[in-house]
Amino acid sequence: MLSILNSLSNLFLNGMMVGSDMSLLEQMTPPEDISTNGHLIDSLFMYTTVWNIFYFTLVCAGLIGFSYLYHHRRNPKAYYTHGNKPKQLLVTLIIGVGVFFSVDMYIATKSTHDLTTVFWKYPKGEDVMKVEVLAQQWMWNFRYHGPDGKFNSDDDYTSNHDLVVPMNKNIEFRVSSKDVIHSFFIPNARLKVDAIPGRITRMWVNFNKAGTYEIACAEMCGTHHYMMKAKLIVLPQNEYDVWAKKSSALAMQSLDEENMDNYWGWKWEESK
Amino acid sequence: MSYYHKIHDKPTTFLSKYVFSFDHKVIGKQFLWMGIAFLGIGGMMAMLIRWTLAYPGEAFPVLGHMLFPATNGVVPPDTYAMLFTLHGTIMIFYAITPILIGAFGNYCIPLMIGARDMAFPLLNLLSFHLAALSGLVLMVSLFIPLGGAAGGWTSYPTLSTLIGSPGAGQTLWCLAIFILGISSTMGAINYITTIILFRAPGMGYFDMPLTIWGLWLTAILNAIFIPVLGAGVLLLIFDRVFGTSFFLAGAVATSGTGDPVLFQHVFWIFGHPEVYILILPAWGIVSDLLSFFSRKPAFGYKATALSMTAITVLSTLVYGHHMFTTQMSPLLTQTFMTLTMTISIPSAVFFANWLGTIWKGSIRFDTPMLFSLGVVFVFGLGGLTGLYLATASTDLYLHDTYFVVGHFHYTMAASVLLGGFAATYFWFPKMFGRMMNERLGKVHFWISMAGLNGVFMTMMIMGYAGMHRRLYNPFVYEFMEKLIPLNKLTTVSALLMGLGQIPFVINFIYSLWWGPKAEANPWRVGTLEWTVDSPCPYYNFKEIPTVKCGPHEYGNPKLVGTDFQYQTEELVEA
Repeated sequence: MLSILNSLSNLFLNGMMVGSDMSLLEQMTPPEDISTNGHLIDSLFMYTTVWNIFYFTLVCAGLIGFSYLYHHRRNPKAYYTHGNKPKQLLVTLIIGVGVFFSVDMYIATKSTHDLTTVFWKYPKGEDVMKVEVLAQQWMWNFRYHGPDGKFNSDDDYTSNHDLVVPMNKNIEFRVSSKDVIHSFFIPNARLKVDAIPGRITRMWVNFNKAGTYEIACAEMCGTHHYMMKAKLIVLPQNEYDVWAKKSSALAMQSLDEENMDNYWGWKWEESK
Repeated sequence: MSYYHKIHDKPTTFLSKYVFSFDHKVIGKQFLWMGIAFLGIGGMMAMLIRWTLAYPGEAFPVLGHMLFPATNGVVPPDTYAMLFTLHGTIMIFYAITPILIGAFGNYCIPLMIGARDMAFPLLNLLSFHLAALSGLVLMVSLFIPLGGAAGGWTSYPTLSTLIGSPGAGQTLWCLAIFILGISSTMGAINYITTIILFRAPGMGYFDMPLTIWGLWLTAILNAIFIPVLGAGVLLLIFDRVFGTSFFLAGAVATSGTGDPVLFQHVFWIFGHPEVYILILPAWGIVSDLLSFFSRKPAFGYKATALSMTAITVLSTLVYGHHMFTTQMSPLLTQTFMTLTMTISIPSAVFFANWLGTIWKGSIRFDTPMLFSLGVVFVFGLGGLTGLYLATASTDLYLHDTYFVVGHFHYTMAASVLLGGFAATYFWFPKMFGRMMNERLGKVHFWISMAGLNGVFMTMMIMGYAGMHRRLYNPFVYEFMEKLIPLNKLTTVSALLMGLGQIPFVINFIYSLWWGPKAEANPWRVGTLEWTVDSPCPYYNFKEIPTVKCGPHEYGNPKLVGTDFQYQTEELVEA
């Protein structure tokens, strides 16, 4: 245990140098967006930010400006008002309703629109790639259906720690958990969904940039929660096909029909 | 309607005077001591957490080798989980709740409404002693085999069942929360009854100071929702001790299937109102103090009181926004999102009223006022950043990241703490008969402001950059390595904030004994507690006062020789 900690500490003492030459803005930016729909979340975030800055500036202007203008030395006599006059009430009401319509209504509508037309609109058809994700303390298991297109059959191939997927393809994940609640988080696609024992949750994504990225567990799942990461490898379609063929063949070779642990998958119900 | 009631006899022994006292003022002070002690413990835990995040694998300075000899002073990962679990639990249930609700609720309610004591003094006494017992159970749980609870303060099953936490620490955690729930419910019933029945003659609901409004609404939420949490943790205890499976499902449920998400529903039905339980007293206090120190009536008093009421009602209808990532039905998700958004209407109204109160005032920048203005600033930030999390699609990215941590620390920690400090500086003369030092108070304010913004703002930035919560070592992820400098900044700010509390502790202890003696009304404020001597005498009021005007009568141009009126005086028509 101690040696693990020591080696970890060395690793990260060296790691501390990384990033210090980055500008603050670079440090503040989320990981690169590699999905077709991540920009919807980023742009909604930016919209909210602009309005938030506007309203917070108003609050600060009031706080600091009034504090300066109406310091008791500058303004020894306060203006006597209970703020109950119709005009004053109207101003208050306008501010209240103004915030609601300028920010809240817009972002709620936009968010609902994004959710119903994109994030909750699961792609259908033969062309959709399907992956089953099973979380456990503290690793990720991924299951691909083999050539037969059915899950939990002998030609399935599985992988843990590495999720290999093709580029420019709609991919649907069905997520569940073996033990405690985890959360399947792909920062580069701005998406996460909880992995809950006894339930199957869903998420779909389309990666448009090849490369190696990280998948995280976002829900506290025990002592080694922080170690529960997986690699996301996005390959161009042709490279992926090679990998899939190889994996499938490998899986058939090393198939152990006796070991029930290999059949952790579940039947894929077509989405309605 | 007011009841003149004969209360218990004046205590004579040490025990009946300071330990088992029925006097609301003594019980309030007991809660204050308890809250401040736990604030210290929770704060130390925060330091350990922050150190681990900025300097993973390095020994905690000074205390590290003593606390963690087995790992050469480095916080081990399992202890780290206990630390953030207990930090959250302690700060919410054992620091903020006792200080804002326990201490100031007890102390201020009878005094500000012109009563001699609470409606149920015995219940009040029990409430404190149960809270203390519960705190003891929680602290003991840290020293048993396998240590304390480590599933986060939300203690989601199945992590918090035997599958994820085999140690008895989690059971004791549940038990402690259950006992605390009983204590809070007792307190809440007492507050509600007292405010409804014991208001001085002439004091209508809209003549109550806004502090009382805040405490009253808090008590109502407490009385309704703390029992829900109690039921939740009781079922969790059943799952852990008696082998039931309310919250077990899937492969791990060997004897029947329940649902882990059920606990989340139960928890957040309580948990979201809890946020408002903590913040409402601070809002009330701030609304009053802004008026007192601007020497101007509270702007739109009724609108503020009604906005607070509206928020109280809305707070019970929005809890689902904590669970967007569990994939509730689309209908529920949209409903919770829209309902959450409506909270911004009453929030904006009382922000407008707060600014309206200081507008054209004659502002005195005493320490309590500085802290109140600080609350407006930090709650502005905390409230606005809530929008991202109420939006279901941005929440998909931000949920369970440090953005959430920063956001709720702004709302629950920063605002409530600053409000609590404002209240402490403001009522200290009445509680202990001495003034606190102004200069130290101002030093305390500015260091705290710098520190807490450094911590919580940076947390939100890191969360936006993708750093998620409760990681022992975030830098196992490559994409977070760039956040090492920001993490260090957060830790340094946290340290600054921690050190900033030293002037407060010195000030508090010094002023208790050696502070200048306080007059009956040092701040020149018209509410009822300032009509009696400082410190407040045993029976509060020799005669129950009669209320003739509102709590915020300042700067009336018809007044001669003074700029405020006591609530017991006939209103001078302007």
